[in-house]
Amino acid sequence: MNKKLKIADIAKDGDKPLTEINLKELTPLPPPYDQVGEETEFKRLTEEQQQRLVCNLDGVVSYAGLPKPRTKAEEKKYVDQFASGLKKLLSKENNWTFLQPLLLSIDYCAQCQTCNDACPIYVGSGQNEIYRPTYRSEVFRRLVNKYAKPGGKLRAKLNREDIELNWTTIARLYELSYRCNLCRRCTQSCPMGVDNALITRELRKLFSQELGWAPKELHEKGTVLQIDVGSPTGLKPSVAMDNLEFLDEEFSEALGIEIKTPWDKKGADVLLIHSAGDIISFPEGPISFSVLCNAAGINWTLSSEIPGYDGVNYGVFYDDVQLAKVATRHAQIAKKLGVKKIVMGECGHQHKAIMTVADRVLTGELDIPRESVVTFLEEIVFSGRIKFDPTKNNFPVTLHDPCNLVRNLGVVEPQRRILRYLCPQFREMTPAGIENYCCGGGGGLSVMSDVNFPDWKAHVAGRMKLKQLLDAFADHPGPEVKKYLCAPCLNCKLQFRDIFDYYKVKERSGIIFGGLGELAVNAMVDVKKPLIKWEDD
Amino acid sequence: MAGIFWHIGVFGVLAVFLIVTIYRTIAIARLPVHLRWELAPIPREKGKAKYGGSYLEDYEWWKKRRRTSWLAPLLYMAVEILLLRAIWKHNRKLWPLTFAFHTGIYLVFLMLLLSILNAILMVTNVSASVLDVFLVITSVAALAGYLLGGLGAVSLLLKRIFDSDLRAFNSTAKYFNLAFLAAVFISGAYSWFAIPDFALTLSQFVEGLVTLDTSLTIVFPLSLHVILASLFFLYLPFTDMIHFVAKYFTYHAIKWDDSIKDARMEKELNELLTQPVSWSAEHIKADGKKSWADLTKKSDE
Repeated sequence: MNKKLKIADIAKDGDKPLTEINLKELTPLPPPYDQVGEETEFKRLTEEQQQRLVCNLDGVVSYAGLPKPRTKAEEKKYVDQFASGLKKLLSKENNWTFLQPLLLSIDYCAQCQTCNDACPIYVGSGQNEIYRPTYRSEVFRRLVNKYAKPGGKLRAKLNREDIELNWTTIARLYELSYRCNLCRRCTQSCPMGVDNALITRELRKLFSQELGWAPKELHEKGTVLQIDVGSPTGLKPSVAMDNLEFLDEEFSEALGIEIKTPWDKKGADVLLIHSAGDIISFPEGPISFSVLCNAAGINWTLSSEIPGYDGVNYGVFYDDVQLAKVATRHAQIAKKLGVKKIVMGECGHQHKAIMTVADRVLTGELDIPRESVVTFLEEIVFSGRIKFDPTKNNFPVTLHDPCNLVRNLGVVEPQRRILRYLCPQFREMTPAGIENYCCGGGGGLSVMSDVNFPDWKAHVAGRMKLKQLLDAFADHPGPEVKKYLCAPCLNCKLQFRDIFDYYKVKERSGIIFGGLGELAVNAMVDVKKPLIKWEDD
Repeated sequence: MAGIFWHIGVFGVLAVFLIVTIYRTIAIARLPVHLRWELAPIPREKGKAKYGGSYLEDYEWWKKRRRTSWLAPLLYMAVEILLLRAIWKHNRKLWPLTFAFHTGIYLVFLMLLLSILNAILMVTNVSASVLDVFLVITSVAALAGYLLGGLGAVSLLLKRIFDSDLRAFNSTAKYFNLAFLAAVFISGAYSWFAIPDFALTLSQFVEGLVTLDTSLTIVFPLSLHVILASLFFLYLPFTDMIHFVAKYFTYHAIKWDDSIKDARMEKELNELLTQPVSWSAEHIKADGKKSWADLTKKSDE
């Protein structure tokens, strides 16, 4: 059903999906994942779900809580709110944060479609029209031009750019704004510097800041929970401390080295902010940094103050107010502890949120130096304070570049210098570095799991990444050679966890994934037992 | 037509073009400082730009002196503008058409500059042999520019009409702009072939303009070409075709803006943070009363 669509089609045939996912049309994966029939089937919506949920984009639902109006008056209310939000997006008072980039991206797209093939979702989907990075932007552009600018309706008619702003349009546009990883590969390829990812984020922002629509995992159970309780995981301060204390003991025994994680140490040099999701789901990561920091003699601490033990900031994906709230809290905690710098844990969007995007919100005494965990780790590894034996990592290793760390921050080489030193069989993916593909979970998608959205993420969003990963290990495709994917980012790891489970990558290809810190600890001479294992204990 | 018709027409168009273009440039430049949104590669990073690295790769970067190059961004943009690097890399099928089109524009612009130079040479009675050399260069630039530009404009127009990837995104303005430009190039090419010494005739016309010669006349079809080109220049600054201005900002002020806050920026940011906001969602409810600073405060502050 990969048909050619017109821009105005988004407003038509309200109840029918504009497109559907056909597994046969997706970009083929390498063996043994190339047999369509053998792939896990895509969960289709039941009739009851189709009646109850808003599902008129592609048969996929990322947010079951999206209201489904029962009356025309209710539809009009939402449409009016959307139109009001459009105007706010164009105002200095309400949107100074991104006004210049937004206006330039609205006004100067040449419609050359050069960005299309840079988008892993569009390519992975087998070039489904709806996922063109320009489709969403062009709908938005035409709505802005018609409904938020003087004389817009007449100009839209004359210019044959007419588009109807109705309930169908905004419902589809909402879903479509969550079919993008905000990876900005499209922006990188655009000769004009037009930023379709930014337009997508501005759309999400409009929905969140004006209509209150956002995926529950990002908002209600995301930033709201983080600000109230401390973490989107629901982990409270006391529980976070208990968990790590338990992990310290557990891993001390497992690795044969004493581990002690310091908390709330006033005047420490370094405040390290992990993601609480790492503490829960990938504890080897935080534990690795406890081992490394202690072994290197660093005066460091974690914070147990809300939300100082969880560095995620989902605001960067959908809402400026929530972004600023979380970033401000993190900086306030660092100020209170009197640390010399904040070091981000292994989490790409956390880096981008507080190191660059929120940099201009953190003025005055909140402007505490902030550093990437990767450069911090490079300093530790090459300081000579810890002895390493790279032969302990003598297995094929490849590196995933988290978009927010690499493409968006330009932190490219430190992690490679570490891997070249510590991993004798390190190899790059193609393309790598700043041109790397997103894991498919970027833009907050990795934590979204409503209805059948995980199927879409595994089949479409993560497809090019999986292909790229398998290609990187094409010399040892089978499970008999144990391989490691280094992904220094919590969100990317969550996406890999889902993809690996979905396609049984560990069982079929012998690949496991983890962070960068784990490889460093695994190679430490003083660590008696391996941290990286292919078999579960 | 003689007298001051051509002077008023050409200088009037030039004035409107400059005023509107400068106004729009200032309007973009005066937009408030935005949150950082840089994107690798940033060419000015010395030693790191070749792989897309930034100063954030340095341990305790705030203690280090940044090593930047002022030349590298210029070279990067020169390749981007003259050779269309991004299209070459990401859209190779489009590249020959758009390269011909843009090179045509650049050559016609060069022809205009040379015509002004020729006019000055004529006014200052420089030797005929020197003038002849410049007239030959002008003539070559004109012919190459008109042919390449015309070919590019027509082929891009046809691609817009027939390429299914582009068709859905077209507007009347997109077709009109290309058709208009094609008409300018084709009328120029026609003039070049129809007038025995095109470069000299054009240079004499420019001489008449700059010396305010009221007996200035112009032969057909050059007159048609000048009128079409003037109308295009009148139209240009009101359209999205002034992307040559926008491109400066999308690159330098957004993708490559990784500047660290200084006192002036802090002042502007603090003013912006105290502005009232009117977003209506439940978690904001600003109602035009709360400011950004109010919204980010902790409830117990």
